[in-house]
Amino acid sequence: MDTVTESQRTLYPYVTGSSVVAIKYKDGILMAADMGGSYGSTLRYKSVERLKPIGKHSLLGASGEISDFQEIMRYLDELILIDNMWDDGNSLGPKEVHNYLTRVMYNRRNKFNPLWNSLVLGGVKKGQKYLGTVSMIGVNYEDNHVATGLGNHLARPILRDEWNENLTFEEGVKLLEKCMRVLLYRDRSAVNKIQISKITEEGATVYPPFSLKTYWEFSAFKNPTVGAEGSW
Amino acid sequence: MFRNQYDTDVTTWSPAGRLFQVEYAMEAVKQGSAAIGLRSKTHVVLACVNKANSELSSHQKKIFKVDDHIGVAIAGLTADGRVLSRYMRSECINYNYTYESPLPVGRLVVQLADKAQVCTQRSWKRPYGVGLLVAGLDESGAHLYYNCPSGNYFEYQAFAIGSRSQAAKTYLERKFNNFTASSREDLIKDALIAARESLQGEKLTSSVCTIAVVGVGEPFHILDQETVQQLIDTFEIVREEETAPAEPEAAAEQDAATEQASGADQGGAGNQGGADQGGSPMDI
Repeated sequence: MDTVTESQRTLYPYVTGSSVVAIKYKDGILMAADMGGSYGSTLRYKSVERLKPIGKHSLLGASGEISDFQEIMRYLDELILIDNMWDDGNSLGPKEVHNYLTRVMYNRRNKFNPLWNSLVLGGVKKGQKYLGTVSMIGVNYEDNHVATGLGNHLARPILRDEWNENLTFEEGVKLLEKCMRVLLYRDRSAVNKIQISKITEEGATVYPPFSLKTYWEFSAFKNPTVGAEGSW
Repeated sequence: MFRNQYDTDVTTWSPAGRLFQVEYAMEAVKQGSAAIGLRSKTHVVLACVNKANSELSSHQKKIFKVDDHIGVAIAGLTADGRVLSRYMRSECINYNYTYESPLPVGRLVVQLADKAQVCTQRSWKRPYGVGLLVAGLDESGAHLYYNCPSGNYFEYQAFAIGSRSQAAKTYLERKFNNFTASSREDLIKDALIAARESLQGEKLTSSVCTIAVVGVGEPFHILDQETVQQLIDTFEIVREEETAPAEPEAAAEQDAATEQASGADQGGAGNQGGADQGGSPMDI
């Protein structure tokens, strides 16, 4: 007789966000992500905010399962709440939040019940800039520029060539737009509704969404089948 | 304090609104040997008077490193102090593991105080019989806290607890205004002088006094006996008299540096002799 149902664990993601790209710049961290929530191969939700400020000093960007991201937000809200309740002049900085998330992600992975996300955590505290990432299996590292998913393959090579530590805000945004444009062209789960957010010593700002200009007038696109008889 | 019908249980109030068991626990702190703490903007120094039970035994450990940035000096039931130190170390390690960051001193102190409070409100427990001077550094600067068995905690610029601590406190009260800007060396010197005050006539040597320091760029550590003895010699605080004339002191400095003790009047020379004549077997 079936008396006990097997305990459930995450097997596959359902509603997913695509890449997040982030860089350190002169005054802090810049982060970019599109606002798409894919349901398999359908680009179903087009206003999903995947960049969120955490406390006074950090920004979190998430790709992967959106419901797990929402759950992570609940964990972090509680963490920040308790941190604020101490009311003692100390506060959790981006390094602490990143490590906390690493512990959470790794522990879930060990139970074979992962939170199906790749996270980017950036922030500034007392003039120190911090940018790190954690994956669903708990792999975590810091760097001057990070990305999740396809961003690692498409955006990071651009950043390796063109990033420097004295980027102004405008230069940083331009660089991120370049990365997001490549992702838009080449990642099938990308949508053309981008959000950029920044965090500096003064605080976090999530900018309103905008869309990227794209160019499709390549001659090769005019007659796509000219070199391939029988295709459409 | 006298026995009365309200002091059997920690969970019994007296009509005057007192919990006698908690107050008795604080008495235990006053019976322990002295512990002194002082802080500047960048450093915190702890000093302890270590009295061995007999010449044959070793001294009791009263200063504990809790983490690289926190240390504690205890007075009272040292067994209770050890247990609380273990708790503090555990909390620091757990915090560091989760956040890769040192636990802010203020938070540790509150956790410690809440733990002590529990023992004042359970009929099957007794209050911890130890006072702790918690010295630590965090983002907001250098801190010195005093945690008492009642579950209260206070932050101090300088403080002393244990027996004959009033003498040390009197000295500290005179000098504390300058502590914020003190250098590390001056802070240690003041700690040694305060320790000497609470010795009240006995000779201050490194065998009766332990010093620990924590500061910006300097992890918490206990100074070794040799270093402490050198500091005592340098600062010339073997005997009580601060008002000793300058000349004999200058002469004593040369004596201590060059000759073996010959039982001279000056205290400085007496230091060298102490190791040969009056020191307990554990020192040699």
